[in-house]
Amino acid sequence: MTDPPILEMRNISKAFGGVQALRDVSFSCRKGKVHALLGENGAGKSTLIKILAGAYQADSGEIVFKAQRHAGFSAREAIATGISIIYQELNLIQFMTVAENIFLGREPRNRFGIIDARRMARESAELLHQLGVRLSPSAYIGDLTVASQQMVEIAKALSQNADLIVMDEPSAILAGHELESLFATIRALVRRGVTIVYISHRLNEIFEIADDVTVLKDGRVVSVQPISEVSRARLIQMMVGRPLEEIFPHATRSRGAAVLTATDVTTERLPYPASLTLYEGEILGLAGMVGAGRTEVARALFGADPRRTGKILLRDKAVPPSSPRDAVEAGLALVPEDRKTQGLFLEQSIRSNITLSSLDKLTRFGVIQRGAETETIAQAQRELSISMASPELEAQHLSGGNQQKVVLAKWLQTSPSAIIFDEPTRGVDVGAKFEIYQIMRELAERGVAILMISSDLVEILGMSDRILVMHEGRIVGELSREQASEERIIELATTGAAAETEPA
Amino acid sequence: MSAVASSPSKRGYLRVPHGLRRHASTLIVYGLILALGVYASLLSPNFLTERNIFNVLRTAAFLGTVAIGETLVIISGGIDLSAGSVIKLAVLMSAILMDGKPENIAVAIAATLAMGAVVGLINGLLITKARIAPFIVTLGAYSILRGVSYTVTTKPVGRAAPGFLRLYDLKLGPVPLLVIFLALLIGAGIFVLRRTAFGRYLYAVGGNEQVARLSGIRVDPVKIGVYMLCSTLAALTGLLYLARSGVGDPVVGEGAELQAITAVILGGTSLFGGQGGLVGTLGGVLLMGLTNNVLVLLNVSSWYQELLQGLIIVGAVALYKQKRQ
Repeated sequence: MTDPPILEMRNISKAFGGVQALRDVSFSCRKGKVHALLGENGAGKSTLIKILAGAYQADSGEIVFKAQRHAGFSAREAIATGISIIYQELNLIQFMTVAENIFLGREPRNRFGIIDARRMARESAELLHQLGVRLSPSAYIGDLTVASQQMVEIAKALSQNADLIVMDEPSAILAGHELESLFATIRALVRRGVTIVYISHRLNEIFEIADDVTVLKDGRVVSVQPISEVSRARLIQMMVGRPLEEIFPHATRSRGAAVLTATDVTTERLPYPASLTLYEGEILGLAGMVGAGRTEVARALFGADPRRTGKILLRDKAVPPSSPRDAVEAGLALVPEDRKTQGLFLEQSIRSNITLSSLDKLTRFGVIQRGAETETIAQAQRELSISMASPELEAQHLSGGNQQKVVLAKWLQTSPSAIIFDEPTRGVDVGAKFEIYQIMRELAERGVAILMISSDLVEILGMSDRILVMHEGRIVGELSREQASEERIIELATTGAAAETEPA
Repeated sequence: MSAVASSPSKRGYLRVPHGLRRHASTLIVYGLILALGVYASLLSPNFLTERNIFNVLRTAAFLGTVAIGETLVIISGGIDLSAGSVIKLAVLMSAILMDGKPENIAVAIAATLAMGAVVGLINGLLITKARIAPFIVTLGAYSILRGVSYTVTTKPVGRAAPGFLRLYDLKLGPVPLLVIFLALLIGAGIFVLRRTAFGRYLYAVGGNEQVARLSGIRVDPVKIGVYMLCSTLAALTGLLYLARSGVGDPVVGEGAELQAITAVILGGTSLFGGQGGLVGTLGGVLLMGLTNNVLVLLNVSSWYQELLQGLIIVGAVALYKQKRQ
């Protein structure tokens, strides 16, 4: 490490309201290297990156980039000095072409002031070629796979002469083989002297691609070192702040009778027939890459997407195929993947959110029994330890973990016999994460059947009593708790090869 | 769940002074009413008289009744552009059916309200089952019902029964019946929004239809119900007009939907749905009524009233946006 770092963020602090998101964080990258930024949700990764991008201003600290000192950036200045961020939610316009997106807002003009489309296409083709990507500059973004769209974002970053590219969980939206080509591209970029900040919590990737690693936890830097000098177990422990075996509550009961049986279910978005059984008291993990069809299975079970074929039995009663209402009445609940757009009414009171699905029980002739409702809410607050000043507050003022508990509280009011959790701890801080694990386990102990979808392998391995793995729309394997290992799940999820598995 | 309860999370939520911001628009609209009232009483001795104030309030009953329905529809994430045409058809229909005969009153009222309900049902079905945007469905209904009305007549028709006509002038003590009627109606509306499952579902559907559906709410009946309610209230407004003028005048109801929407927006209800309420809408209705009254007292031409109303709505919403940030 003799070269001066290309980027140094020194003593950065940032608070939102009363919450200290970053405390005195220092972060530096060597030129032409891949630096992994590792941490749980809520550890402060995105805040740090947004300060770098100019989306937030730090409360204190400074940024030194290419030997230039900055107190802070605007978003425009960040781009101008050579910093590009590629977010998970790609910032591309769907109905414009690849070339138009790459040059958006910086279109080359000819001498009449008219956009020089030919030059735009030529330069785009060149950039894509340098990245080793085969894409037509005139293709429409909406027609491309997510992986290709990501390449367009990288090309855009290059066209802005980026010296530093931050990739925010790039693998979260990619399938296995696509990841390989992303890595190839990253290596090509590094050879050209571009520096990469690679954000992920998937350790396999980090060990494969990164040179250095910085671990953040609760807004502080826990560790900075070359990747070659640290072990996996040590990284996990630094991320979560305690040894693995203490995180996940253990099951004390064995599984009971079948609660939900789905046979050959298909929907428009789930073309291959899916079958699975949920048992009383058991947590079934559903693993696989993003896009493998896990959420589609959940939506099919819940009737969110109308069923085309197949049968679902819940406690031996057939569930009608086409509406969440029917599923709820039958005793099913879905804690969806994205609570902000699918689980909660952010601008409505916590009160309304919690009792929304159980108003039938709390009304007489359509009139809400205020006392009964207040009692219900107080009870939910106690059981799930939701921290809130008042149930009349809007749900948007709660932290991610408490929001997730509100969604859960809503469902517990309907006394479900099976609950589907889709990415239950996404966007939830570490403390609340443990609480949610405990709640899930306690529900299982009380006899509720649980299906848990997760992209977090540590979570899948730690929580599941049994694991199903999906690959490209099909359930390709089943692993018992004893059979399961990170390698085995990844192999199934990426290749679909059902090597050495036996049905349970 | 003892294990859960034993590990409370410390950082719960961010403390935001939200109460004031949330009600900013209501405070502003009532503040404007007060300011305008003070201004008018200084300017004209005729303003702050019992007669004039009750007159303003009684006139507000017309706009108020449709605006209640419009508020509920807008909270549910929709819009109803057909309300004015429903009023028009209702006043014609009730005048023709009543035909000056007291024994026809009940039938005329029932048939007119039923007409409103059916219009709302058709709107609702087209919106939910045929999945056409509310703006388009009700724009179509606006035009169709207007066309029907003008096909029936372009001149005043029919006649209110004398007993029915008296309702307009009836008073309880000093208070006109229509003012009490509006107060009860607003009260009922507030009760529905705050204390019934239907009210909660309206906010839910308007706040995020997807979440509402995934929460197990039957979205379609809620939507159909709210359009039926809105059109029925519009038909009721038509009956009020008949009680006032005594004939079925085809000019009645012209532009009433836009007036109602204006009042709703002035009241701070979001056009995107999921937020707002009737206290605000009442404020919007009163502010509009008061503006007209003041301009009349000041002998300003009615054309300026429209101009001023346009300025008020844009100005008020610009102010709300400022306060909310």
